Amino acid sequence: MTQAEIKLCSLLLQEHFGEIVEKIGVHLIRTGSQPLRVIAHDTGTSLDQVKKALCVLIQHNLVIYQVHKRGVVEYEAQCSRVLHMLRYPRYIYTAKTLYSDTGELIVEELLLNGKMTMSAVVKKVADRLTETMEDGKTMDYAEVSNTFVRLADTHFVQRCPFVPATENSDPGPPPPAPTLVINEKDMYLVPKLSLIGKGKRRRSSDEDATGEPKAKRPKHIADNKEPIPDDGIYWQANLDRFHQHFRDQGIVSAVANRMDQTSSEIVRTMLRMSEITTPSNAPFTQPLSSNEIFRSLPVGYNISKQVLDQYLTLLADDPLEFVGKSGDSGGGMYVINLHKALGSLATATLESVVQERFGSRCARIFRLVLQKKHLEQKQVEDFAMIPAKEAKDMLYKMLSENFISLQEIPKTPDHAPSRTFYLYTVNILSAARMLLHRCYKSIANLIERRQFETKENKRLLEKSQRVEAIIASMQATGAEEAQLQEIEEMITAPERQQLETLKRNVNKLDASEIQVDETIFLLESYIESTMKRQ
Amino acid sequence: MAGNKGRGRAAYTFNIEAVGFSRGEKLPDVVLKPPPLFPDTDYKPVPLRTGEGEDYMLALKQELRETMKRMPYFMETPEEKQDIERYSKRYMKVYKEEWVPDWRRLPREMMPTKKCKKAGHKSKKAKVTGQGTSLTNPADVLKKIEELEKRGDGEKSDEENEEKEGSKEKSKEGDDDEEDDAAEQEEYDEEEQEEENDYINSYFEDGDDFGADSDDNMDEATY
Repeated sequence: MTQAEIKLCSLLLQEHFGEIVEKIGVHLIRTGSQPLRVIAHDTGTSLDQVKKALCVLIQHNLVIYQVHKRGVVEYEAQCSRVLHMLRYPRYIYTAKTLYSDTGELIVEELLLNGKMTMSAVVKKVADRLTETMEDGKTMDYAEVSNTFVRLADTHFVQRCPFVPATENSDPGPPPPAPTLVINEKDMYLVPKLSLIGKGKRRRSSDEDATGEPKAKRPKHIADNKEPIPDDGIYWQANLDRFHQHFRDQGIVSAVANRMDQTSSEIVRTMLRMSEITTPSNAPFTQPLSSNEIFRSLPVGYNISKQVLDQYLTLLADDPLEFVGKSGDSGGGMYVINLHKALGSLATATLESVVQERFGSRCARIFRLVLQKKHLEQKQVEDFAMIPAKEAKDMLYKMLSENFISLQEIPKTPDHAPSRTFYLYTVNILSAARMLLHRCYKSIANLIERRQFETKENKRLLEKSQRVEAIIASMQATGAEEAQLQEIEEMITAPERQQLETLKRNVNKLDASEIQVDETIFLLESYIESTMKRQ
Repeated sequence: MAGNKGRGRAAYTFNIEAVGFSRGEKLPDVVLKPPPLFPDTDYKPVPLRTGEGEDYMLALKQELRETMKRMPYFMETPEEKQDIERYSKRYMKVYKEEWVPDWRRLPREMMPTKKCKKAGHKSKKAKVTGQGTSLTNPADVLKKIEELEKRGDGEKSDEENEEKEGSKEKSKEGDDDEEDDAAEQEEYDEEEQEEENDYINSYFEDGDDFGADSDDNMDEATY
């Protein structure tokens, strides 16, 4: 794990789970697989805190455990899974676009809690939806269950590996840790539950308002005295499926930008047809015949068969090679080249970065070297039609930032520098890795800056929160306009200005994080796809 | 070696033309310090994307951040003791739901070990009732007391041996613990509070009576 990744993981864990979990998590990421007592000793935290932290991390699928010989259990952190925490808003928003509010809340609950049983999810989501509905209306459990089943059918949620039910006549001491198993077939099997009920509205006196003094809360009312019907069957969000969806989205929008809306719809149809049949890391989808595609086009689109064929031919002939023709039966068999598509997207990202950082002439040189694969210094000047001095300057700038690399080709076996060709080339994989590393650094910087800004203005933020709470409580008890006005004036105009600026900055930093994460996703997908093929 | 054109004269060992500099030209300066921390950029960055989706994701992100802080998974660092204890602090504590993990899915060593005899009493009682052995009553009571004492010793020594070989004892302990947890609903938080209380640990040494032992000197001061 690179330093940048570790730093980013540390910031994410700290924001989401607190410092203790962060310390344990980062230690595990740095040092790899470790048993419990070594962790406690090396990090200097008490054994009991380490246990609690590990429980939280295991619950959220960030740490896995394995039993080694002699009964020692070792814990290992999943760094890539920690980095996916950046993407939670995107997952939830995708669920909203596909399955509306119910789906959105289901995915949100699953992400916030790591793993949950279906009955628990349904109950919580129904309660939350009821809160937002008008008075008197409640959300039925059945509707939430239906959405859950649909999510499971399209593989967006999956079952967690479970403890196999062993017979009780097992001789000898039980193992130090259960080995969890999951069958491919069972992963999306929804248990037969008859969840009957409606969401409950929380009483308004129960609502927390931070800053309001409260009497000591009663302990958690154990209203789950009835045995849970699906006890032990936990569900988690299937992040790979979301990634597949993002990748498809990326390809479709790329086709739409390059060609037109209709061709992007055709590509979207093809991708939808291969969703379940093609594994997510395949280099290309299963071949689809033109007739099938014609039948599966969305209902609104009434283009004739010939037009469809023309579009498909156009797509297959495109130099970017998103779509390829693999045969002639059934009116033409077409596949989508997923790996090539990801490569094109990654290359486009690199080109865009070079353009924005160094200027359009540099971008011209970059595209030239990309296209011609290997070029000498002289050839670069000639082909790009840029004066020698500037071309040299730009090439060296890009070389120093590792977008371009130098390839030596010796003429003689002794590699004498005077008799060696030096060629400029772009190695897309290593440039993508370099850019990914920079993205991790950028996000870490953005998070740090946001935390700094918030800390600087902590006093002011707290004051404004208190004032809001006072106003809210006064409004509830029915106060006059004049009194409210007076309270509002507790925050002076320059302070208001400062708050505005702070809010704007924090929003900008947050929005930047989300956008950088999109680039990270593209580059990660490309690198993963390339590594799988080797 | 061949190629040494002249002693003492600087000569490039490779064709300088190939790398793009002409002979006699001034080479760029050697950089003697690390690059600046905030380098100037020639071009301003492109403005961020805006739109409905982006706004929604932004709001989601900020909400999620706040929600995570209120979840039971967020472990607060224990604050250092302030010199003056503020009265209002007691009433401003944010209520957090308790969370008990599913022990069946976790390794045995994750379960909090019961150090305190008080907790031990509860668990032992539950354990014994849980086992449902059919012993007759008077002998039962005596046997129970013996078992409790033995269990208390066993657990104490377990805790002492924690630093050494863990797994064998742990598995036995864990075995008992599982039954206990099945039999009663012990709050996770309560465990932690009792474990941190060193005073009670040392108070209940082997062979001490429960709570009755105090300073012998006290007997003298009763007027």
